[in-house]
Amino acid sequence: MSNSSRERILGRITAALQQKSPPLPYVPRAIFAPIPDLKQRFELECQNNYTECIFTWGVEETQARLLEILASLENGAVFAEDMPFIRDRLRLAPRDLTWSSTGPATESSRATITRAKALIAATGSVFVTSSCGGRGGSIVAPVHIVLAHESQLVPDIEAALVHAEREGLPQKNSFIGIITGCSRTADIEKLLVIGAHGPRRLVVIVES
Amino acid sequence: MNAASEFLRRSIDKSADLTHRSIIRKNIDHYDAAVLRGRARFADWEAARERCAAIKHEAIENLDQLLIEFERKILARGGQVFWAENSEEARDYIANLASDRGVKRVVKSKSMVTEEIHLTPALEKLGCEVIETDLGEYIVQLRNEPPYHIVTPAMHLTRVQIAELFREKLEGVTSDEPTELVAAARRKLRAAFFSAEMGISGANFLVADAGLVAISTNEGNGRLCTTLPKIHVVVTGIEKVIPRMRDLGILWPTLAAAGTGQSVTTYNTLISGPRTAEEIDGPEEFHIVLVDNGRSELLADLEQRDALRCIRCGACLNACPVYRNIGGHTYATTYQGPIGSVLTPHFRGHEFDHLSYASSLCGNCTSVCPVKIDLHHHLLQNRRNSVQAGDHPRLERIGFHLWRWMMMSSSRFSRLARLGKIASRLGKAVGLDPLKPWTAYRASPDLPKQSFRDLWRNGRV
Repeated sequence: MSNSSRERILGRITAALQQKSPPLPYVPRAIFAPIPDLKQRFELECQNNYTECIFTWGVEETQARLLEILASLENGAVFAEDMPFIRDRLRLAPRDLTWSSTGPATESSRATITRAKALIAATGSVFVTSSCGGRGGSIVAPVHIVLAHESQLVPDIEAALVHAEREGLPQKNSFIGIITGCSRTADIEKLLVIGAHGPRRLVVIVES
Repeated sequence: MNAASEFLRRSIDKSADLTHRSIIRKNIDHYDAAVLRGRARFADWEAARERCAAIKHEAIENLDQLLIEFERKILARGGQVFWAENSEEARDYIANLASDRGVKRVVKSKSMVTEEIHLTPALEKLGCEVIETDLGEYIVQLRNEPPYHIVTPAMHLTRVQIAELFREKLEGVTSDEPTELVAAARRKLRAAFFSAEMGISGANFLVADAGLVAISTNEGNGRLCTTLPKIHVVVTGIEKVIPRMRDLGILWPTLAAAGTGQSVTTYNTLISGPRTAEEIDGPEEFHIVLVDNGRSELLADLEQRDALRCIRCGACLNACPVYRNIGGHTYATTYQGPIGSVLTPHFRGHEFDHLSYASSLCGNCTSVCPVKIDLHHHLLQNRRNSVQAGDHPRLERIGFHLWRWMMMSSSRFSRLARLGKIASRLGKAVGLDPLKPWTAYRASPDLPKQSFRDLWRNGRV
């Protein structure tokens, strides 16, 4: 069934395309205003989309801020991506952590801690792949904490995609996600409610 | 009753329903305010529209090559691609897959194509439980209704109505507060996500060069549907393909601005296949169902081919003065509003030609379309096609011939207009008003004593 339908559909498309539409000219011009300060813009956009953005200087400050955040969480499992950058910063964590090397983030996780592959200034977004704690690492828990470095800031989504292409990320990962704020819905009377099916709280720690 | 008179009857009922109208007005006012803010983020909104239109134009003009490239990439990474000529083929493929894998529970992320092919009833017939996970879709599913709007499926309901529904169907709902209603749905649907064997999603875009499926959701339900179940099935139309991954850099923000007024949708996801050997989670099986269902015929219609550029943002629905008054369900189609009136006659036949008359041809739809589809002209072309197909009463055709004959000569027009004035007064006096369908709901305009011609002749203008 599949093959014969495939051939028929493609046959109809190819036949239809014998006739070309007139070209649609597009003269490239600036669609968005340039971003003079990536860090400042990222912080502003995070505020707009309900992301907690924390800038830190060095590993010690990141460790200290992480401890504060962990202390504010309800009791329960915290899932963390297993890689040296994160292990270093969670060294002082007083509670038990479930590492991604032992399996995926589970339903009962209170929070997940992962890296990002890039931070997008124009929209205050976090760029992740399945290598950042799996697909579930950024979605199953009520709190998602991202540990990133200032050098990961890129101006906009297009720049992030071009960068990802260059790094071969779509070939290396079955999943790429661009996350802009916490989970939300406006399906009831178009009123914004934060925390639908995904995290209610998104924290991004940007270390310099 | 045929589809056209049913449509007319529902339109009359709905447009007279003032509560309905106030709900829609309130919702669309919220939307309008958000879109103004969203567009203000662009230095040049028109440039964004032009670029998106150009990308989709390029995609549609190279549809065969791009689909083949996309398929090749997906197959190479262990995904399956099934091409379905019509709804039945698409449904059968997914139903067979579900029964073969012993699927009992299916979670669905929002997909208009699954509505188009009537997928849910087919899976339910097999004994599967099918759960919509987009909040709006979930609400209309609980009410046993089709989506009211392609982006905001429960736009026609107030929080009070939704709270009543939830109190009846869910546990722990005590107030009408949207936060509490959302929390109740979250609790209920979370259990579904973690126990379903199959997740079904749509696709906003199919990226040819990298072989990716792009899915956008705000709630995160699209993420969970494509993360937790063992099988992920994407159901989408063949026209969703785009040439390059980097094109999303403009398509995503423009879709978000036009659809909800956001800078970008909360979760923009790209999926290239099942989980790899190195990955810790994700579905083991990944299937893509590419649905034609009339799209390749629309491609052959050079005049209206641009309708395949549609990215389903819903902006034309919100902008349409007819949609705002008759609402989504009145159309009785999967796609409502101007884009629905353009597409449905192509997808489902001349029976839906009447929808092209549900327009004042004001052109607001065309002006808001982020991919610059010439919507209102297509409605006009559909009317012409419908007349040419002979789907109109004889009396109407005679009437228009007479009208044409009258308009072709100024003296004929003048004499007949005068006659018409007398006839209409006489008619009204004896209760035979030919304009009754109009005047039944509106005050009839007062005809001036002297016509423009008379005034002109007497040098008064």
